[in-house]
Amino acid sequence: MEPTQELIDAIYRERVLRARRTPLDQKFLAGPQLFDRACRIMKDGIRSERPDATEVEVEAILRQRLALTRRLGNGE
Amino acid sequence: MSGDDATLAVIGALEALGTPYMVVGSFSSNLYGVPRSTQDADFVLQFGPQTIFQLADLLGPPFRFDPQMSFETVTFTMRHVLELPDIPFKVELFHLGDDPYDQERFHRRCRKKMLGREVSVATAEDVIVTKLRWAVQGRRMKDREDARDVIAVQGDAIDWDYVNSWCDRHGSRAVLDEIRASIPPLL
Repeated sequence: MEPTQELIDAIYRERVLRARRTPLDQKFLAGPQLFDRACRIMKDGIRSERPDATEVEVEAILRQRLALTRRLGNGE
Repeated sequence: MSGDDATLAVIGALEALGTPYMVVGSFSSNLYGVPRSTQDADFVLQFGPQTIFQLADLLGPPFRFDPQMSFETVTFTMRHVLELPDIPFKVELFHLGDDPYDQERFHRRCRKKMLGREVSVATAEDVIVTKLRWAVQGRRMKDREDARDVIAVQGDAIDWDYVNSWCDRHGSRAVLDEIRASIPPLL
């Protein structure tokens, strides 16, 4: 089932109002902190896919996936 | 060292050296808009002949410096990239170019008091204008989304005459108007 425009707008409104309430210090450092959290989750996923992989291999796969994400984000 | 530690270390070093700089990119759009994950911190600097070497000395071993500049294909500017070997996070130091708009936004940069220190950051208007310029040139969806979030969060605080004027010159006015029309009422 597709979400309605009303629901999409309500979710967006909540995101914006929450951002307005968030202190500047917290917003400024949120980017790398969210990235760090995403990396930890991605590493857990890689370990689950590749239980035999060493930590060096997990890190290498993570970096390959991040590079791919970056290229896609840049429209390459 | 984490990405936020690295960013704060670079800000501290730039302040200590007295190098004119401003925080741009996703750190600035996170500040004025809705925070999202980012794997790099971007700065625009007025480089002196020794700046990169002074920064390398001050920041020390956690950072890997490439003294060679590289060309950034989305913004068409020269940059130095500082890498942190232990984490997949980068700091990019862009050279302030001669482009009239780049000069203007650098001149308009403001000081924000955060985390117990003052930090030079591009203004909210310039985050919008720059993101839309890249959205049109680089066709990156995330730039459109960042601009939309800054517009929505900042609301009436934006100097629209300034934003409209530069978007007209950059050919991004149609995208700006489309984005503004897409924001639902927030009250």
